[in-house]
Amino acid sequence: MTKKREIIFSLVRGLVAICIALLVAMLLIFISAEGATFAAKLKATGEALRQLLLGPLFRMGKNGTVFEFKRLTDILASMIPIIFTGLAVCIMFSANQFNLGAEGGIMLGAFTTAMIAIYVPMAAFIHPLVAVIGGGVAVAVMMLLPALLKTKLNVSEMVCSLMLNYIIMYLIKFLMNTYLADKSKGQIQSYEFLETSKIAPLIDNGSKLSWGFIVAIAVVVLCGLFVYRTRWGYAIRMIGINQDFSRYSGMKVASVIVLSQVLGGFLAGIGGGIEMLGRYKTFSWSSLPGYGWTGITIAILAGNNPCFVPLAAFFMAYLTKGCELMATYANVPSQLIDIIQGVIFLFFAAEQFLSGYRQKLVVKSAQEELARKQAEQAQEGGALHA
Amino acid sequence: MLNFLKMLLTPEFFFSIIRISAPILFATLAAIVVEKAGFCNIGLEGLMMFSALSGSLISYYAGSWVWGLLAAVVVGVLMSLMMGFFAFQLKTDITLVGIAVNMMGSGGTLFLCKVITNLTEGNAMASTTGLITKSLCIPDITIPLVNKIPFLGGVLSGHNLLTYFAFICCLLTSILLYKTSLGLNIRAVGENPNAASSVGVSVLKIKYIAIGFSGLMCGFGGAFMSMAYAQGWSLDMVSGRGFIALAAQAMGNGECLGGMLSSLVFGFAQALGIKFSAIGLDSNLASPIPYAVTIIGLVIFALVRRSREKKRHSSAGLEKAAAAAK
Repeated sequence: MTKKREIIFSLVRGLVAICIALLVAMLLIFISAEGATFAAKLKATGEALRQLLLGPLFRMGKNGTVFEFKRLTDILASMIPIIFTGLAVCIMFSANQFNLGAEGGIMLGAFTTAMIAIYVPMAAFIHPLVAVIGGGVAVAVMMLLPALLKTKLNVSEMVCSLMLNYIIMYLIKFLMNTYLADKSKGQIQSYEFLETSKIAPLIDNGSKLSWGFIVAIAVVVLCGLFVYRTRWGYAIRMIGINQDFSRYSGMKVASVIVLSQVLGGFLAGIGGGIEMLGRYKTFSWSSLPGYGWTGITIAILAGNNPCFVPLAAFFMAYLTKGCELMATYANVPSQLIDIIQGVIFLFFAAEQFLSGYRQKLVVKSAQEELARKQAEQAQEGGALHA
Repeated sequence: MLNFLKMLLTPEFFFSIIRISAPILFATLAAIVVEKAGFCNIGLEGLMMFSALSGSLISYYAGSWVWGLLAAVVVGVLMSLMMGFFAFQLKTDITLVGIAVNMMGSGGTLFLCKVITNLTEGNAMASTTGLITKSLCIPDITIPLVNKIPFLGGVLSGHNLLTYFAFICCLLTSILLYKTSLGLNIRAVGENPNAASSVGVSVLKIKYIAIGFSGLMCGFGGAFMSMAYAQGWSLDMVSGRGFIALAAQAMGNGECLGGMLSSLVFGFAQALGIKFSAIGLDSNLASPIPYAVTIIGLVIFALVRRSREKKRHSSAGLEKAAAAAK
């Protein structure tokens, strides 16, 4: 199959998957829409869908739909943590390691960074750097546990990392409640971060779009280079494709598996840290933020290729925002995003999905090739006769 | 310390271990059967969430726990067959299918709950705890005669119908796997699908049956969660039991009896956690105990298995085997 057809096929496949998910969403919105008659329900559904699909970027008021720059920056800002978890999952899944610890990882990273930002005074510029890297290192160390247990004892990294998520969440809650909370406040939150530790906003329009976004894009490029242009990245991908082959060809399978998970943990950790310092003034998360799970969806959408992660993250951030708006203006519960996410996920990862169409494209390519060759032969033959 | 031990050695404590183990046992049985068929279903958590929600809702609307239980089981089976469709027909990686189901099981159930009941507790949380009354729950059963035995009566009698059923299921699953032709086929497909299909076993059909069975068990587990363990469904109420069950399956070496014992270990860990928080330990320190025990359990199991293998491959073991061969 030609390269062009290959691209067309993946585009069509992706679009169909998204369309199916939106159809399911539409059906669910219709069921949940308010209205006595069918027509009224249909109208409410249309309104909700408009919020979902256009709301994230356009303001819908009396003057019609108007593009709003602030909304775009909002979406870009909410992409920051999920780009990092997406990258983390990409690298771990590339090695065929189903480590689901990005969820707990981002919380631990955020917590560690917050603690350094509050309790360790430092000069500006250096402070956020140290704090974020501290968060990353903490999570990298945490990921050593499932990675080493997997390579040394063959304990399922999936179960282990999932259990770790719960343990981390409860321990952080415990530390916050008993020792670290600012008792003068009504809710449980830490003291304020030191002024030196803050990550400056990129655009000053109240959108929380910080320099962290630039860092995120830079890390995407680095990850892309790492996975596709270095020896280690090659080893990670090779082990993901065929572990036995990699072992026989002399790769250090165990250390590469550990490396992939530690690196994934580091990425999730700095993601949590940057999110913390760029968006908040205090640490107040009391449950897992859910960015880890979104990261898995992003990795699937991006096909484990770090270069596509920003696109997938934009898509997910857009949808999430749309669902939130829908909850506010159209009274459709925002958790619809989880169902949409699940459906897209299922179809995107389905190897055989639209395989009939793919087969047709392959056949068509082959036939064209054949026809061209025959035409060439006929021409040559004609030339000889003449 | 002595006082604490005294507190533990009560019939109530052992009773609570059995009660807490039941949903884990259901999920463990589900994990065991799919593992025997050669794959791993990590969507148990999500399946249980869906079953728990549908069970409590239907039992409320139909006004009887029987319908609720039935609905929970049907939803569990249907969802698992859908998983099978994606995994076997569309060739999605089964792990990813499981993750997707878990994702939907977390936020998606809350969405469905809000939409169906029109409940919006402060716009953030909704649950069906307000709808389910004691009479809509699955009833407890007092076993005559047994309940008269001192101590043991308090431990064994008065459990929920489904708790007894969980342990009966353990026996039934064992019989299914080892005494029926279906069980033989399931194990054959897990061991070597090509060999199984060469003697005329439909691999696809067996895989569907296995995953359907896991849905059935999760249906019971989910119903237990929302109609016996707690009154009504609430967000993330299964809280990792589906994953703990995967660990229990591994620790039980993939056998029903072993799986049951490991479920009881996890039940013990959780009951201990509850007791700890009752005597004043911060609940945020008590709650992670079962999860920590899961990791520790997996490590111990792996160490034991490893040393056993070493023994088998050691020179003494080889000599013994050679002598036996002669």
